[in-house]
Amino acid sequence: MSVAEAIVVDGLCKEYKGRLGDRVMAVNNISFSVQEGEIFGFIGPNGAGKTTTIKMLLGLLFPTAGKAMVLGQPAGDIEAKERISYLPESPYFYEHMTGAECLDFYCQLFRMGSAARKTKVAELLERVGLSKDGKRALRQYSKGMLQRVGIAQALINDPDLLFFDEPTSGLDPIAHKDIQDLILSLRQQGKTVFLSSHQLSDVEHVCNRVAIINRGELVKIGTMDELLHAGRTIVTLSNVGDELMAEIKPLASHVAVDADLTRFYVEADEDVHKAIEAARGKATLVSVVPQRQTLEDLFVEIVREGRK
Amino acid sequence: MIIWAIAKTTVGDALRKKVLQVFLVVAIALIVLSLSFSQTLEFSSRNGISADFMLLKSFGLGMMALAGIFISLILGVSLIPAEFERRTIYTILAKPVKRYEFVCGKFLGALMTLGITTGLMGVTFILTIVAKAIAAQHLGAGPTVAALQTQSTTGAESVAIFDWNMVWGVVMNYLQFMMLSSVVLLFSLIFTPTVNFFMGAAVYMVGFMSSIVQSLGNAEGASAFLKGLFTAVYYVLPQFDRFNVSNQLLHPETQITNMGFYTLWWGAYGLIYVLITLVVAILIFERKEV
Repeated sequence: MSVAEAIVVDGLCKEYKGRLGDRVMAVNNISFSVQEGEIFGFIGPNGAGKTTTIKMLLGLLFPTAGKAMVLGQPAGDIEAKERISYLPESPYFYEHMTGAECLDFYCQLFRMGSAARKTKVAELLERVGLSKDGKRALRQYSKGMLQRVGIAQALINDPDLLFFDEPTSGLDPIAHKDIQDLILSLRQQGKTVFLSSHQLSDVEHVCNRVAIINRGELVKIGTMDELLHAGRTIVTLSNVGDELMAEIKPLASHVAVDADLTRFYVEADEDVHKAIEAARGKATLVSVVPQRQTLEDLFVEIVREGRK
Repeated sequence: MIIWAIAKTTVGDALRKKVLQVFLVVAIALIVLSLSFSQTLEFSSRNGISADFMLLKSFGLGMMALAGIFISLILGVSLIPAEFERRTIYTILAKPVKRYEFVCGKFLGALMTLGITTGLMGVTFILTIVAKAIAAQHLGAGPTVAALQTQSTTGAESVAIFDWNMVWGVVMNYLQFMMLSSVVLLFSLIFTPTVNFFMGAAVYMVGFMSSIVQSLGNAEGASAFLKGLFTAVYYVLPQFDRFNVSNQLLHPETQITNMGFYTLWWGAYGLIYVLITLVVAILIFERKEV
């Protein structure tokens, strides 16, 4: 049975015109899809086009070219919006309202009746740990508390698809952990989450698949295993003679000598075997340590590559 | 339901604007204070209306119009741009809210806010006149009481403490605030708030002189281009002077022959104008990126 696609993006472009008539390609011909039930990470440096892409998927911005489908409907479709939710980066609310009034307002946008709203607001405040602060004005809330209100408003309609834009930005470790747990619980419930974040460890921890965007272009996409393939291996030998050094050095991308230990950083698995074979009987094999690339390594590499 | 929810939120938000509160409080205070200014005038009667009442009514209506215009401008200018600035629009439009519902909700909220502010100023204004009338009756001031005498249908004279014409004046003021805020709301989707404020003020001033603009459009000797330009301005901009009924209220010799028809006609004009402006604003907002 094939899994349905929650999001399909096909050749999406967004071009802005500058004041001097210059054109800036914020998003350039990106295509990808997100399966239902997937936690999809969308990462990139500042100004890469992440928020622009999310806004196009929500129908807040209109693409210059290409198309996007969300839950089987064109992006921005009202019917689809009944089943999706959005938590923007540092959400802002009407400060004169209390937490409960604010959530009641958002419930009304889903055409909920008075009794249903009352129950829902109490339930949401409980869920995000703000039951005792529901009657306080939002202007008295801390950033973490406002983020909790943001999460609560994103859960009103029990959405099938959630867009989280930098949900942990500027939060303390406790609030950060709460959001991470929330995303994991959403995964267990089979919800689809589109997570844009700078917290690469979060993305690596919770996401099934990741797309990396840089300068408006989709650079890489895949599962963690596909993206973070076994990287280089460090082959450490002792008592390496000149002849052996000359034999192994061409196989390594980098060689580090520390007293009688020599570390060879070898990229390809095949070259690792060749190095070990060459060392047999000529030096002492101390260790062979495969290094798995982290998402951060990959991200930094891609961003640096893009700057060249 | 969505429109109503957005409208209620807009009212709560708007009434907390310090600048709006200042205009409202100053206007109400000045209307009340005009009671003491009028005491300094002698009871000289002109066409049956004493000078002290003339001052009260003229000052009250003028103050209400001035404050109302500023409130309409301030409110309309920030109505939608403030949602962008505070980023509250993102969480609203990400919900199943149609864009026309958002614009209508914001505009309805503005109308309700204007209704509350105009209502407060109007009630203060009318109460001031009633208080003056009661005081004058107790003091037995001849011309003042004469000013309050109205001809009943049976021809017998009776003394009226409450003058319904003043309510008419307040309603006509409200209609022009409505039109001005709809124009400013439309401009807010195109211009920056500062530009919009001055554009709105300019539209009000030109619209307030619509009779003069009409005359210029019909002037003999003017080029066809100028005639066309003035005629276009006359028809496109709201004719605010039709809603300024101070003269009719203060000078019985300029009374409108059929007040009911006049109110209905220009009331319908105002509503249709607002409707057209709102439709144009919605069409622009449908394609606006947020």
